Amino acid sequence: MRILELQGVSAGYGPVRVLHDLDLSVNAGERVGLVGLNGHGKTTLLNTIVGLTGWQDGSIIFKGEQIGGRRTHGVGRTTPHIVRKGIALAPQGDAIFPGLSVRENLDSGAYSGATWRSRKRRREKVLEVFPPLAKLQRQSAGTLSGGERRMVSVGRALMADAWLYLVDEPSLGLAPKISVNLVAALCEIDLGDGAMIIAEQNVPLLEGRVDRVLGMHAGELKLDAGESLGDIPPSAGVHL
Amino acid sequence: MIDVLISAAVLASMYGLIAIGISFTWASIGMLNLAQGFIFTAGGYTAWLFAQYAETLGMEGPALSVGVLVFGMGGSALAGLLVGAVAFLPLQDRANFRTRSLIATLAISLMGTQLWLVLFGSQNKPLPPIFGEGRFEIANAGISSQQLGTIIVASFMLAAVIMWMRSSRHGLQMRAMMMNPLGAAVVGVSVRTTGMRVLAISGALTGLSSVLLAQVFFVSPTSGTQPLVIGLIISLAGGLGSIPGTVAAAGLIGLAEAMTARYLQQSLVPFVLFGIVVLILIFRPRGLGGLLEDVRE
Repeated sequence: MRILELQGVSAGYGPVRVLHDLDLSVNAGERVGLVGLNGHGKTTLLNTIVGLTGWQDGSIIFKGEQIGGRRTHGVGRTTPHIVRKGIALAPQGDAIFPGLSVRENLDSGAYSGATWRSRKRRREKVLEVFPPLAKLQRQSAGTLSGGERRMVSVGRALMADAWLYLVDEPSLGLAPKISVNLVAALCEIDLGDGAMIIAEQNVPLLEGRVDRVLGMHAGELKLDAGESLGDIPPSAGVHL
Repeated sequence: MIDVLISAAVLASMYGLIAIGISFTWASIGMLNLAQGFIFTAGGYTAWLFAQYAETLGMEGPALSVGVLVFGMGGSALAGLLVGAVAFLPLQDRANFRTRSLIATLAISLMGTQLWLVLFGSQNKPLPPIFGEGRFEIANAGISSQQLGTIIVASFMLAAVIMWMRSSRHGLQMRAMMMNPLGAAVVGVSVRTTGMRVLAISGALTGLSSVLLAQVFFVSPTSGTQPLVIGLIISLAGGLGSIPGTVAAAGLIGLAEAMTARYLQQSLVPFVLFGIVVLILIFRPRGLGGLLEDVRE
């Protein structure tokens, strides 16, 4: 089953066009790595799916429902509507709530009524994925270290009852050891019929952990490789 | 001394209600709501209209009191939604929203005053005493049932709203939106829906303070100006968006006003209040809330 299908998607900010006529499809149960250098549109691609770009155009079908289309203003106006359909994003820069406790930050991810009622069980599952957070539950999120904040941000996304998880640069700015653990934890989560896209600059982190790797270069998908990263051609613009 | 403390508590509880509304609105949607004075008078007039109608029905006692409170809060909540429909929803994701909404709410405030003048005339409208007219003795000082009622009702409402903000799902959304609008959108919180909810709740709190203040000062077309100014002072001094900071600032400003009026002169009150705010902002630019909610960005 197709979870997500993008067709002819372009997006950008003001006069800048970041994505060029891009096609992409993600199947149920798939874990996709999105690799490529800084500034080539990985974040924009994830943001486009949830309507967080300045403008966008093209068809985005999520579980058979059109969530894309042409939009020229209103950044983020449709985002709450889209994520409630079952898409969870852990954005770049974390966007956690500094004055709320770790527990409240996690709970905020369980937005919809039904998910909210099961938040305790969900929180326990997230704490299994990120054990260091268990002791910090009552602490204000603004006082956490970078790695802990990232866990809160990703954990908040995992709290949602989502079909599609979008994780933007989980390793960015973290110490190597911490980022390895974080990405490993992300790749061990049982997706069931859902899917996950992990945008990552640090390609070796994904090696052998994802089902498929997509390479982004200058706003286009240049490469669609299996889980082996060995035979990526240099022309793909993806530097290992 | 006790009587000064009592009047300080009365002032603090009434002002605190308005300031919390201004503070919430600013922190959650980035709109400095200068129409809070219009919202204030809207509640007063709604309560007055209800009281007129209830009189023709011969209603009195607790039913009348509760009705006046409910209609005052309801009228102001509706006015808050109206302000949102005019100054928030159409402008929200445009450039310079903060400046534009500031101008829009100022316009609503000015037009509102004229509207009340046209509709109700310039004469002061009294509200029926909702807490009766009794008097009690506490530690050699008299406290009227109106003062006691004001303190109890206002503290109860404030506590209820704060509890709700701390424990419910919608409250969590509002606090999340105050801290990080992008994060809130990503977890599914709609700024527009939540913003309107904030405006309605702020309105209801303002309406309550309008009814409480009208027990002493009547309702008139311009009766919202003074509470708006004091509300702005308190929310600035408290640190916009900080609940404990605002409550502390309300207490401080109430005490300052009561002491100035008692030991110096009533006409010096605005000087003292603005002086305090200037001092607080010089030494704590983020307001008192910065002391209490220590957050590392």
